[in-house]
Amino acid sequence: MKHATLLAGALLATSAFNPAFAQDADVTVVLAEEPDLVEPCMATRSNIGRIVLGNISETLTELDVRGDEGLKPRLAESWEMVNDTTWRFNLRQGVSFSDGSAFDAEDVKHSFERAQSDQITCEISRYYEGISITPKVVDAHTIDFTTDPAQPILPLLLSLLTIVPSETPIEFTREPVGTGPYVLADWAPGQSITLERRDDYWGDAPAVSKATYVFRNDPSVRAAMVATGEADIAPSISAIDATTEMDQSYPNSETTYLRIDHAVAPLDDKRVREALNIGIDREAFVGTILAEGTDIATAINVPTTLGWNADTAVRGYDPERAKALLEEAKADGVPVDTEILLVGRTGNFPGATETFEAIQSMLSEVGFNIRLQMVEVAEHEQYYSKPYVQDQPILVGAQHDNSRGDPVFSMYFKYHSDGRQSGIADDKADDLVERATAATGEEREALWSELFGYLHDEVIADVLLFHMVGHARVGNGVDYTPTIATNSQLQLSEIGIK
Amino acid sequence: MKSTLGKRALSSFVSLFVLIVLVFFLSRLTGDPAALYLPVDASEEMRQNFRELHGLNDPVLVQFGRYLADLAQFDFGESLRKARPALDVVLEAFVWTLKLALITMTLVTAAAIVVGSIAAFQVGRPFDRFASVLSLIGASAPDFWIAIVGIVIFSVNLAWLPTSGTGTIWHWVLPISVLFIRPFGLILQIVRGSMINALGSPYVKTARAKGVKNGPVIFVHTLRNAMLPVITVIGDQAAALLNGAVVVETIFGFPGVGKLMIDSILQRDFNVILAAIMVTAVAIFIMNILIDIAYALLDPRIRA
Repeated sequence: MKHATLLAGALLATSAFNPAFAQDADVTVVLAEEPDLVEPCMATRSNIGRIVLGNISETLTELDVRGDEGLKPRLAESWEMVNDTTWRFNLRQGVSFSDGSAFDAEDVKHSFERAQSDQITCEISRYYEGISITPKVVDAHTIDFTTDPAQPILPLLLSLLTIVPSETPIEFTREPVGTGPYVLADWAPGQSITLERRDDYWGDAPAVSKATYVFRNDPSVRAAMVATGEADIAPSISAIDATTEMDQSYPNSETTYLRIDHAVAPLDDKRVREALNIGIDREAFVGTILAEGTDIATAINVPTTLGWNADTAVRGYDPERAKALLEEAKADGVPVDTEILLVGRTGNFPGATETFEAIQSMLSEVGFNIRLQMVEVAEHEQYYSKPYVQDQPILVGAQHDNSRGDPVFSMYFKYHSDGRQSGIADDKADDLVERATAATGEEREALWSELFGYLHDEVIADVLLFHMVGHARVGNGVDYTPTIATNSQLQLSEIGIK
Repeated sequence: MKSTLGKRALSSFVSLFVLIVLVFFLSRLTGDPAALYLPVDASEEMRQNFRELHGLNDPVLVQFGRYLADLAQFDFGESLRKARPALDVVLEAFVWTLKLALITMTLVTAAAIVVGSIAAFQVGRPFDRFASVLSLIGASAPDFWIAIVGIVIFSVNLAWLPTSGTGTIWHWVLPISVLFIRPFGLILQIVRGSMINALGSPYVKTARAKGVKNGPVIFVHTLRNAMLPVITVIGDQAAALLNGAVVVETIFGFPGVGKLMIDSILQRDFNVILAAIMVTAVAIFIMNILIDIAYALLDPRIRA
C-alpha cells in the first residue's frame, strides 16, 4: 500500500471531514497460498473463502462472530418455520449482482441446486449430506426449503450457501459474479488477485476501495511484508514471528486431539484410555511448543459452541495414576504392552512434529509402547477416515475446525457409529447425536451439553488436547481485529482505515 | 555433427518416454486424488462421482493409454485444481523460471569467468585466496538461509529491497542474488582450475615468449581452450535452475515452475506434474543441444 497516499488521504479527510477521502483506500492482504479457483460454491475452503466469502459472494444468513447476535440477516431479511419440515426465507429487495441482474428467489434455488450437482464437487454440499432438501420458489422474493428429516438449524446451514445468478453454468467458474460489495477486477495467476469496490452495492459502502491479495508460502516472509509496509494484513503468521505490537492472536477454532479407535485392544479398555489422557502434561506445551493463549480442550468444539459443557474438567497430568491404571488393566489381561501407532501429520500446525514427539515421550514414560509416524496429508487421510487401518491399535493426531457455533458440523462424523471419522460405536452417543440434531432451542443446547459430558466423562472417547490460537499481523495503517472465523473468511468491509 | 544431434534427439526421446512412464505410474501410487480433493466427510458416492468425472475409475493402463493418445495431440489434460489446461498453467510458470534462469546464468557466467581468470593469473596471491574462500562459501551455503537472511537485512532492516513478489526490477534483485551464489562458487572454481592448466600449457608459454600481453593471453589464447569443461558445468547449473529453483521460488513468492511442481505434487494435480516435467525435460534437452553446438564451435575436433 502507498502509505504516503494513504496518510495524505487520511489527513485531508480529518481536516475537511470529507468521508469520500477516508473511504478511498487500497489494502494488500498476504495469504499463504493462491486459490486454484475463486468458485463461490467452494468458499468453505479457507484460501477461497478468505477472498470470496462476504466480499464477492454473499449468503442468505450470516453468523455473527464479533458480537453475540447469533445468526444475522444478509440476503434474507427474515426467516420463519412454516411447519416442522419447511423454512421460509424472505429475501432482500433491490439487490443486484455485479453483472447488473437483479437478485431473486430463482437465484437462490439455482445456487442451491448447482452446489448439490454431481457434475461438480462443490465443497459446501457436504453440509447438506444425508438431508433431502427441496427449494421451492414462492414468489420473486420468497423461497421455501423443505427438508427431510426436519432441520431445525437450516438457517445456519444456509449461512454457507453462496448465492450466484441463475444464469451461472454448472461448471466451476473463474469469473465469479455475486451480490457482495466487491468484484473480481484482476487475476494474474501466480501473482495476485485484485478486488474492487462496487458502486451499486445494496448495503453500506465499505472503507476499503481496492484489495490486492498476494501469496507467499513462507510465514516469516508474510510477517516481514507487513513490517515493511508491502502488505497490510497477514492473517496467518507463525507464533515465532508474532512478537511485535502489530501481531494479534485469536482463537482459530481448531481443536487438536488424538482420535482413539475403540475397536482394537488395548484401546477398548476405559482404564487405558484414561491413562492416555492423564499421561500427557498438556500445560507443558503452552507457551513452549505451542503459542501462549492456547487453551486446554475438553471437547472437540471450542467453548463458544452451542451446548459446550462447562462441567467437563480437564483431566490433570498424573503419571503415577496412569501407571497404576495400566498395571490394573494388565492384571486383568488387557494387552497394554502392545505397540500403539501414533500417526501425526507433518505441517498440520506449526510445531506439529515436536508436539507429537513430546506426546510420544510422555506416554512412553508412563508405560505405553508408542511408535510415532509422521505422514503427509494424503497418507494421513487413510488413517483418519473409514475404513480404518486396523492391523494394530492406532491413535490419529489431528485437528478439527468448527467455527460455526453449532456442534452439528462435528458430532455426526466424529462420534456417531456411522460417522466417517468416528472412533466409537456407542448407542447412547448415537441417540444423543440424532436427537440433538433434530432439536431446537434449549432442548438442543441441553442435548449437546449432555453429549459433551457423556463423551468426556463416561466414554473417554478421545485424547482431547488443545484449542489452538492463530496469529495475524496487522499493519499500522489499518484497523482490523481477527476473529474465530478469520481462518475461513476475511470480510474487507470489516477493515477500517486509520 | 548432424548425426551426433540425431543420436542425441533419439536418446532424449527415449529418456523422455521412460520419464513419462515413471512419473505417470509413480504419481498414481501416491494416493487417491478423491481422498485429497474432497472433504474428509464426503460420502463414498461423492468420491465415486469425482473419480468418474476425472476418469480415475478406469484401470491404470487404460488411463495411461488415453494419456498417451492425448499427448500425441499435444493435449496435456486439465489441471484438477485449477480447471484450466495443464499446459497453459505450466507454460505461464515456465516463462518466469526461464527469465530467472537466463538472467542469473548470464550474470554468473560473466562474473565467474572474470574473477576465475584473474584468480588463475594470480595463483596463491591474496586475490586468489579470497576468491577461493568466497567460492567455497558460495557453493556450500544453503539457499533458504541466505534468502531469509537477505530479506531480514535488505528488506526489513535496511528497507532497500522488497521482500518478495515480481512487480518491479527491484523485486528481482534478492532472488537473483540468492540463486547467483551457488553456481558462481562452482563455476569460479572450474574456471580457475581450467585456466591454471591452460596457462601452464606450451602454446601459452610460446605466446608469452613472443611478448603477447596478459590481456590477450587470457582472453584470446587461453580462455577458449579453458572453456570446454566450464561449459559443461554451466549447462548443469542452468539445468538445475530450469528444473525449478524450488526453495527460492517458494520463499520469494516467485510464480515459476519449481514452485508449481511442488504445489502440484502436494495437491496430486497429476496432469500439471506431468506437463511440468515434460516441459522442463524438453527445455533441458534443447539446452543440451545448444551446449553441444557451443562445444563444437569451440573445439573443431568434435565437429567431425
